[in-house]
Amino acid sequence: MDHVYPNRDFHLKRIQATIARMPSLSTTVVKVLETCNDPRASANQLKQVISLDPVLTGRVLRLINSAYFALGKPITSLTRAIIMLGVNTVKNLALSFAILKNMKGGGTFHAFSTDEFWLHCLGVGVVAKSLAGSKGLLPGEQEEYFVAGLLHDLGKLPLNNQFPDEYFQVCQSAGKGSDPFQHAEDRLLGIDHCKVGAMIARKWRLGVGLVETMLHHHQPDDATENSRYLVSTISLANQIAIKLKIGTAGDFISDRTRLDLLTENVGVDYRQLIDFNESITREIEKAKIFLEIVQK
Amino acid sequence: MMIKFWGVRGSIPSPGPNTVKYGGNTLCLELRLQDPDRLIIIDAGSGIRELGDSLSFSKGAKDQLDTEIFLTHTHLDHILGLPFFAPIHNPGTRLKIYGPVTCEEDPLESVIGGQLSYRYFPVRQHELGASIEYIDLKEGKYDLGQGVTLTTKYLNHPLLTLGYRIEYGAKAVCTAYDTEPFYNVFCTDPSDPSYDGVLASEGDWAARDENSRMEEFFKDADLLIHDGQYTQAEYDSGKRGWGHSPIEHVMAAAGRANAKRLAICHHDPLRTDAQLDELARLFCNPGIAGDRVIFFAREGQEVEI
Repeated sequence: MDHVYPNRDFHLKRIQATIARMPSLSTTVVKVLETCNDPRASANQLKQVISLDPVLTGRVLRLINSAYFALGKPITSLTRAIIMLGVNTVKNLALSFAILKNMKGGGTFHAFSTDEFWLHCLGVGVVAKSLAGSKGLLPGEQEEYFVAGLLHDLGKLPLNNQFPDEYFQVCQSAGKGSDPFQHAEDRLLGIDHCKVGAMIARKWRLGVGLVETMLHHHQPDDATENSRYLVSTISLANQIAIKLKIGTAGDFISDRTRLDLLTENVGVDYRQLIDFNESITREIEKAKIFLEIVQK
Repeated sequence: MMIKFWGVRGSIPSPGPNTVKYGGNTLCLELRLQDPDRLIIIDAGSGIRELGDSLSFSKGAKDQLDTEIFLTHTHLDHILGLPFFAPIHNPGTRLKIYGPVTCEEDPLESVIGGQLSYRYFPVRQHELGASIEYIDLKEGKYDLGQGVTLTTKYLNHPLLTLGYRIEYGAKAVCTAYDTEPFYNVFCTDPSDPSYDGVLASEGDWAARDENSRMEEFFKDADLLIHDGQYTQAEYDSGKRGWGHSPIEHVMAAAGRANAKRLAICHHDPLRTDAQLDELARLFCNPGIAGDRVIFFAREGQEVEI
């Protein structure tokens, strides 16, 4: 029988402790270690490997935005962060978090696999970047869309890590289609991944755009006017990734009505989406080859 | 304000007959405010030992020392003198040690205090006589009281490193070491298989922007104390990415930022007195330097600001 957890504060404490020490994903960690331990690894390779890991991307942006708090506008570009922090600092940061995994374990992923979760995050990032490109946004701005897509589901990691059995139930319950994913999380855990994601984004000082993406990517209309287009685009990218079955983060149900509405709000049509499909597949295959997970 | 250079060498203490004139101690600056009397120390390289010893000559000063040390970063040549700074062993001493956080986000106390453990030094941190407060700094503006303001700026070095701009009584002194010009770290060669046009142009833009932020940081400084470990030719021969600046770049940047005086420091440990004299002859003459006073900092040198 479903039950409500009475001790929400206790849950929050466990979630906050996990946020403080979130490890890299096991899907990317081998390549992160290999690249960052290689003194000859180029900045291009470094950027590539980091941009494939949502936790690491968040960590690098966290460092730049907490250290450079006087900048005013938060930095959401990895390119900029690597120029400012330097290749060695970023390599050391990446290594320190990749190694955490070995210390603490990556959490039990029986609600969904790490590889599938990684694929979903990357898929949403790639789709969001393509959508931004199709709307004529500049390459620098497209990167923010990629990062927002890559990070949008980060809130699921602490929940899955701390409450693996409950999270398995969430996925099963949501998979039946009667209970939206967020409702199932709220009912079984007293909190959902959007709120946890926003906690991470605030703690890591990732800026309003990313906080709102984490918080509202299932309800983009709740976002403030300044962030609404970004959040709507990520929401659409999420629906497209679910529809195209690009990995999974536990939420399998594609919502056709929502997809139609978001397509209209973002201003793209289905023909464009078909064109995207090929380039998205190409991008993802490239990433898989880079991480050598094709052979797994 | 008065600045005294207690150490100007980079990387490692370099004593010997070839470094007698400019000195072999690693970086340590004394900034003395006259009214009220206040001592601010920047960096704790090997030069801080003699600074500490000099304080004992003032009657009672050593026993009641109340001062601040600003570390630019935690590379060894900037902190190795701290255990030999005599006042830290005196119970009357009160120290505030400021510095940047590391990328691993370890607190300053454990990074600096780490060298005060038995494996490195016979006195452990908690056995020190002085009362020490560690304060992590980030990029920003700080009010240090008594009309002193501090602006910090991250530099370009293989470790998070802060430049300090200290303003007092309408005068500004600025440190920018260890650092090198920001540059595009991404591949810019279209024939390279890893070339990415967007990344290349974004990298160019970000590096330009950071360099102009840097010049804004030391704009109109009365004294700019800047890293100048290499000549341009040396820098271009495999030293890029090491976190130290070519002298020619520093002179041009100081000119654009209208710094009134420029002290070049963090001399390479291999640089002899004769070589530094020759560099001074080349770069510091009015024909090259113009109206700006440019000099290669010497250990023991004092500059009134």
